[in-house]
Amino acid sequence: MALIEIKHFKKSFQGHDVHKDINLSINSGECLGIIGGSGVGKSVLLKSLIGLIKPDSGQVLFKDQDITQLNEDELVEVRKKIAYVFQNGALFDSLSVYENLAYPLKEHTTMSEEDIYQKIYKTLDEFGVLNAIEKYPAELSGGMQKRVGLARSIIMDPEVILYDEPTAGLDPYNTKIIQETIIKLKNKNVTSIFVTHDMPSAFAVCDRIAFLNQGVVAAVSDIKEIENNNDNEISAFAKGLRP
Amino acid sequence: MTPFLIFLGGSTKLLYLSFKEFFKGKVEKDLVIEQVYQVGIKSLPVVLVTTGFIGMVMALQFGIGLAKFGGKLYIPKIISLSIVRELGPVFASIMISARVGSGMTSEIGSMRVTEQIDAIRALGASPIAKIVLPRVLGCFIALPVLTAFANTIGVLGGLLVGSNDLGLDPNYYLQKVLTTINVADYMSGFMKCFFFSFLVSVPACYFGLNVKGGTKGVGIATTKTVVTSCIAILIGDYFLTKLFWVIETWL
Repeated sequence: MALIEIKHFKKSFQGHDVHKDINLSINSGECLGIIGGSGVGKSVLLKSLIGLIKPDSGQVLFKDQDITQLNEDELVEVRKKIAYVFQNGALFDSLSVYENLAYPLKEHTTMSEEDIYQKIYKTLDEFGVLNAIEKYPAELSGGMQKRVGLARSIIMDPEVILYDEPTAGLDPYNTKIIQETIIKLKNKNVTSIFVTHDMPSAFAVCDRIAFLNQGVVAAVSDIKEIENNNDNEISAFAKGLRP
Repeated sequence: MTPFLIFLGGSTKLLYLSFKEFFKGKVEKDLVIEQVYQVGIKSLPVVLVTTGFIGMVMALQFGIGLAKFGGKLYIPKIISLSIVRELGPVFASIMISARVGSGMTSEIGSMRVTEQIDAIRALGASPIAKIVLPRVLGCFIALPVLTAFANTIGVLGGLLVGSNDLGLDPNYYLQKVLTTINVADYMSGFMKCFFFSFLVSVPACYFGLNVKGGTKGVGIATTKTVVTSCIAILIGDYFLTKLFWVIETWL
């Protein structure tokens, strides 16, 4: 059964139809890649899944609950279960790395300061950024910011993680760390939606890939099918043969 | 007309949401204290310098003008009434708008551009409770206190010029100030600050939260904040003066 379903999703900005009719379902525990040319609305779609952007019409069902109908207070429960990894980390620059990671824990749990510290220590250690615990975001490299952003997103142990181009602009080493983290989380049955232009990463972590084009889902294919069949739209996009 | 109506609706909604969060008890004391420090303590020098010199300039101008008619003795009355009823609250609020309102907009606008506002929402927290409410409360608490200091320094600025340049006896000056200003005079100026605090903080937060177009948008929003707040304070001052005048007459 699908964990997330997007039905007849429409969204336009200033008269320009970004999404005309998006229909997509994501199963529990799978990793779905979303690809498409620049400006096709991949990030808009991703933000809609957590209620950061409201569609003009259509539904986004999470566990059969239409989140497009929820107000900001009601969305809090959804946002505890669905984490969002922002493209550039979106770390709070007035807070240290420790305070960034403590933010959701202090907001939503009754954990003691000691327990919060232990959890943050363990999480940062897993991501190899423990030495940055007292630093501020401006003092971190791009790769470290993304890893800290990812660490902050998963610290509440979400059921679903939405990745907005997590490997964009990263060196091969940081890209590999992010890929391994996504795979590790997938193995823990965490559902992932992965928006990217980075096709090697998409092939490394995704089970299926959806290709957005001209406001609709132009194709959805299994990774193996794409790898074995050079004739489909996704293969053509991945090889740079079409926009 | 449409952008004005959008601003009016948006900022009214922002104020309503802030009150809603306040009455829900979602006040983060640490964030409010930080804002009181930013708005109050850090703005104190600029407000004191501004109103101090306004008092001095007024004393000088009235001294020159009234000396022709032998009216120098009215200087303490004129200066104290002008500063306490009008110039102290208005200039303190305008200076806060220029120094703090612009800073608020650029900070919130930068957070908007770098998706930090979205990150607050994505983490299940409320940007109103975390960003807007502490700033609104910070202004609400700090601005009246700043105005009290501004009034005092403004009047003392007049005293300085009055005694040094115009030959007025300092004791006479102070005695006239104290016998002229009554509670109604003081409160009619002081109460305005509570309204002005909203006219500084709400537009600053509104324009910051609605920044579009990256860093250029932050600059545009900052300018809009200062212009809007200053105009709103001056227009609001007229209507509040009229309102307090009606109340004083009625009392």
